[in-house]
Amino acid sequence: MIVVSGASRGIGYEVARRLHERGQSVVGLSRGGRSDADFPVDKLDIRDDVAVSRYARRLRQHGIRVDALINAAGIASMNLALMTPIGVTSDLLQTNFLGTVSACKHFSPLLIRAGGGVIINFSTIAVSLHLEGESSYVASKAAVEAYSRVLARELAKHQVRVNCIAPGPIETALLRGVSANQVSRIVDRQLLKHQFKCSDVADLVEILLDNRAASLTGHVFHLGGV
Amino acid sequence: MDEFLEIVVSLVKQFAKPGATVSAETPLIGEDGNLDSMALVELCLALEDFAQERGFNFDWSSDDAMSRSRSFFRSPRALALELSHQRQLQE
Repeated sequence: MIVVSGASRGIGYEVARRLHERGQSVVGLSRGGRSDADFPVDKLDIRDDVAVSRYARRLRQHGIRVDALINAAGIASMNLALMTPIGVTSDLLQTNFLGTVSACKHFSPLLIRAGGGVIINFSTIAVSLHLEGESSYVASKAAVEAYSRVLARELAKHQVRVNCIAPGPIETALLRGVSANQVSRIVDRQLLKHQFKCSDVADLVEILLDNRAASLTGHVFHLGGV
Repeated sequence: MDEFLEIVVSLVKQFAKPGATVSAETPLIGEDGNLDSMALVELCLALEDFAQERGFNFDWSSDDAMSRSRSFFRSPRALALELSHQRQLQE
């Protein structure tokens, strides 16, 4: 089974939908759940470490094999560093970084039990571009990148591959409030100067899950290149 | 507790570095430790299974596990005590 967090909308939804469409066994996780998806979406707030631990334990107790974890749950907030309320910074770290850590920590043993597997975490192109107005968001995702690189080393001996995908401005709810001009300026800093879509991210996820990507771990993949 | 100590020592022997002498007080981690990081994870997974068979859950990533002085990974005895403690808490 493949576990996808943040599966009720945006990139997480598109990835889970695509994998389900390909015949993979997928379970989505989301704070609010989602009843109209073609794949099952369980209610789980990844910021709640105890709840994530309990959920992973239930999978183990039921003997469910987990082959991959895709951590797509995330939030964004754009503001100048000096004007960002500390609560917003805390929320970004809690969801983007600690939520990813919690999921990795509690699902990794299931991947090890399966004899190996794949973890895909999500960063952003904003980390490499050091985008102004996104200091706390960038910091939370930079933490995800650093954590993933170390985790890749620690889990390599257990045949678990860990990679990050760092998309540019993808048309999702996270982009609400970002003007077309701002999007265009970011896209202009990519090597491939066009805006990619959720389906492009899903393509990359499929590649990283494939056995032909068995040599890839500890990488951050930027859509469009930086 | 004796049953737990017995199972912990036996599992540590299974995962310890070749030639290691394992007793109730053998250091598991740190410079003199007998388990590398891979073996430590394997030991924890085996203890999860053991706990599940006995009807309780073994949490090996708590704050106590991290503490250098109180870490229950400091020896098989400390680990067996922790298992026993966690089972009592869940009864």
